[in-house]
Parts: sequence; C-alpha cells; structure tokens
Amino acid sequence: MTRQSVLWTLLDKVESVALTLWPMKFRGATGYLFIAPALLLVGILLIGLGYMMEYSLHELDTATYRLKEAYSFGNYLFFAEQPVYLRILLRTLLAATLVTFFTLLLAFPYAYVMVRTQSALVRKLLLVSLFLPFFIGQVVRAYGWLIILGQQGIVNTLLVKMGLPTLDLIYNYGAVIFGLVQYMLPFAVLLIVPAVTAISEDMELAAESLGANWIRTFRHVVLPMARPGLVGAGIVVFTLTMTDFAMPEILGGGTTDFIASAIYDSFFQLSNSGLGAALSMVLVAIGSLLVALVFWLTGAGTLSIRSEAP
Amino acid sequence: MSWVPNKQFVLWSLVSFSLITLSLPTIIIIGASFTAGDIIQFPPEGFSLRWYERLWHLEDFRQALLRTFIVSIICTLVALPVGTLAALATVRYRIRFQQTIQVYLLLPFTIPLVVSGIAMMIFFGEIRILGSLWPVGVALCLINLPFMIWSVTATVNGLDPELENAAYSCGAWPVQTFFSVTLPAVMPGVITGALLMFILAFNEFLVSLFLTDARTVTLPVQIYNSIRSVITPDLAAVSVLYIVIALLAIWLLDKTVGLEIFLKSK
Repeated sequence: MTRQSVLWTLLDKVESVALTLWPMKFRGATGYLFIAPALLLVGILLIGLGYMMEYSLHELDTATYRLKEAYSFGNYLFFAEQPVYLRILLRTLLAATLVTFFTLLLAFPYAYVMVRTQSALVRKLLLVSLFLPFFIGQVVRAYGWLIILGQQGIVNTLLVKMGLPTLDLIYNYGAVIFGLVQYMLPFAVLLIVPAVTAISEDMELAAESLGANWIRTFRHVVLPMARPGLVGAGIVVFTLTMTDFAMPEILGGGTTDFIASAIYDSFFQLSNSGLGAALSMVLVAIGSLLVALVFWLTGAGTLSIRSEAP
Repeated sequence: MSWVPNKQFVLWSLVSFSLITLSLPTIIIIGASFTAGDIIQFPPEGFSLRWYERLWHLEDFRQALLRTFIVSIICTLVALPVGTLAALATVRYRIRFQQTIQVYLLLPFTIPLVVSGIAMMIFFGEIRILGSLWPVGVALCLINLPFMIWSVTATVNGLDPELENAAYSCGAWPVQTFFSVTLPAVMPGVITGALLMFILAFNEFLVSLFLTDARTVTLPVQIYNSIRSVITPDLAAVSVLYIVIALLAIWLLDKTVGLEIFLKSK
C-alpha cells in the first residue's frame, strides 16, 4: 500500500467515527460543538468568580481567623469607610489616566511612522523593537529598569563617578508610571496600527493641498479618523494599568500600592480573604462600568473580535 | 501664518524616545550578563561567561525553566484546538446569542489578572488540583485565549466559504474538507496564535504566582522572588534566556506569517 492510500483509509476511518459520534442530522449544530470547549474553559473563570463573590459576603472572624458563616456587606462597608482604600483607589485611577495619556502620546506617532514610512528596513526595525519587549514580559523588563535606575544602578554609578550626588530614581510613583508606559506601549501601538492603516494617505494630501499645515491635518483629519483605534488602545491601557500588580510592586517597592497590591495583601498578608474578595469585586465593577461607559459613548464594536483582529 | 514645527522632526523625536525606552532594558540586561564583576556596574568590569556557568549549576533555576517549558506547552496544546474551533464557530457558523458569546469569550481580558488568578486559585483549591503543573497550563491558556481566537479569526475572515462548498460538491466528507481545505487556509492565524500563546505563557507572572508553590514555581515567579532580595548578575543571565527566546519567536513569526501582517487593516 502506498502512503497516499494509507492516508485515505485513515481519513475514511476518521470520517466514519466522526459520523457515528456526530451524525449528519446534527450538522446544523456543528457551530455549537466548535464553540463548546472555549465556553467551558472560560467557565472555569466564572466558577472562580462565583466563589469570590460568595467569600466577599462573609466577614473575617478575628477570633478564629476564618470567615463567619453569616452573610453581610461588612467587607464592602469596611472598604468604603477606610480612607486608606479610597486613597489607593484614587492613586490607581490617577496612574491609569496618566499612563493612558503618555502611552497614547507615544504610541500614535510610532504607529503612524511605522505605517507611513517608505523604507522597509525602518518598518522592520520599528516592528522588531516593538515585539521584542512585548515578548520579554513584565518581570524581566522591570528587572532591566532596576539595573538602570536602582540605588546602585547604572545611572547612579555614573553620577557618583562624575562626583555628583545619587538620585532616588526608583521606588516612587514616577518610576511606576514610567515602567507602565514602557510596558503598555507595544499593546497600544498594535491596537492603533489598523486604524492608521485604514486612513488613506490621499486624505492627508487633500487636506494639505487645501492649505492645512500638518498639525491641522492631524487634528482635523488623521486623529478623528484614527479614533476607533485610539479609543480601543485607551481602554486596554487604562484597564491593564488599573489592575497591574508587578510594576507597582517591583518599581514602586511597596511604597505606592495599587488596588491589585491591596487585594494581594488582603489575601496573603492580612489573611482576610473576605475583604480581598470584596476589593476584587469593586475592581471588576469599576473596570466593567468604565468599559461599558466608553462603549456607550463611542458606540459598541470598538473592541469587538471582528473589528479589531490584529 | 504662524510657525509650524517640522513634521518629521516632531514625529521622529517621539519615536526615537519610544525606541530607546523600549530597547534600553534589553540592551542593558545583555551587557550586564557578561560582566566579570560581582555586581552590575557601568562600565562593566571585564567580560566573562561565569554567570551563565553559575546559572547552569543552580538546580532551582533549571527546574523552574523546565517547568515553565512544560506549562507553556500545555497552554499551547490546549489553546490550539479550543481557540481554532471557537474562532471558526464565531465567524463561519450561525450561532444564537453571537454577541453575548463574543463578550463572554472576552472575559479573560476584561477581568483583571489579579482577580482571575485568585479566583482560579480558590476554585482549583476547592477541587484539590492545586500543586500540580497542568492546571497552571490550563489557567494560562484561559487568560490568554482571546489572543488565540483573535489571530485565527483574522484569517478565517479572509477565507472564502465557496472553497469549502467546492470541496463538498467534489464529494469530500466534512472531516476531510476540514483538514484539507479549512485548516490549511487558516494556518497562518493558527501559527501566530500558537506562538503568542507559548510566549505569553512563558512570561506570565501574576497568575503563576497564585497557582504555583515552592515545588511547582515557574521561572517568572522565581525571577520575581529573586529580584526582591539581591540583584546579582546571574539574574541577568536568566533574563538573557528570555531575550533569546523572544528573538527566536519574532524570527519564526517573521518567517511563517511575516511581521507585516500586524500592519494590515481589517
């Protein structure tokens, strides 16, 4: 028997098994069969969230360090009454706003130049510089910044060699913002690129031939047309920043806690899983409300699977 | 007319700043890993491979690396069928509640990683599978699944349904059509997705932090724990491993589907 015929017999076998397991009359339901594994997999997340919701409704019994049996909203009230949690929440939201602003400010020119450049070499350089950090991960990148900006880091060693005093470049709010902007940049560029590609260069030429300088062309033609990409990138950067854990921990050194750190600490430092779960629910609620609000303001479909496929 | 700054100058200043910011940590890590000194400083104290050699003898790191590979492979193997079929289903088949299902499948993106991680930790703890490696792989697949679905969906959109109909009318059975027409046509998306899943699982830190313990710790968590104590050049050597793997993935992506695919508009 030739290899080809072995393959055919094998395919026939597979075909008949498939027909027994999934008869022709079910053909109309094939879509559901295909989607089922993904639905089940994501279902794990929903079950876990269900557990968390349940945990959040039980207060900690400080006598036994277990959650009380009785249901209550005590954890949520505790969150609302403690100024420390509101401060952390505000700090996180401010950081998310700043990071979104700076990331978009840098990502848009990057995407624009990458799409518009005539040189294939420049385009490749920009693409590789984008994918390399994207594929390296947050912890390793933060480690790189520690080497550069740390107390005994490269910048400070150079300063000492030049006879200058050292600077506190890490373990502060600015370092966390900077690290996050660098972390978010590839995400933002990749989300903005399709929108920029969709803008015909003729549009810009038309605006310029009518006497608009490039800044006015950008303001009135390019930016409005790229809006879907900018909004999509903005949402992703904002929500990812709001929920980030590694950068505030590594570059903030525990001095600038974000909500994610507060959740972690409630679970693992205070052993108060009820409070941690309640904080998690608050975080999910704020994130969902923001995304819903943006969708409502800008029209749905900004982030839908079909329109934003990379 | 008022003064207008030069367009190329403004754009390239911003892009250069981004380029430097994006590349600097990578370059510095590579440089630091070859130092002969005991601490990382600039200019480096001679050239040596001693930190790589030392790394090879650190059992902890070798074990963690092996576990990270296993976890990433599990993640990719789960994502391949699950993501590909889901992408085909959402684009090619008529399904009720299509919108709802799409939003549902985006849940891993919209729910913060810290929450997903703890939620899965609680669930896996309840069903007593915490402490083994495979649930970590499944969890990493779950949180990155939208990436897989995205990249396959992009190619499914470009596939002409008439090709499949042609195969049917030539007498091909469904399974045969699937493997000889549908799958080859969406292959670029499947390859991109699989690569992304592997790389993302290889890097994923936060969810792994919750789902691993001392016996199952993976490399990103191990690095994180080490960063918190003393920053020695052996960590730079570990990080270079990540850089090499990232470069390899970029090269593969460029060879198989071409990086320019990310520049296309839908």
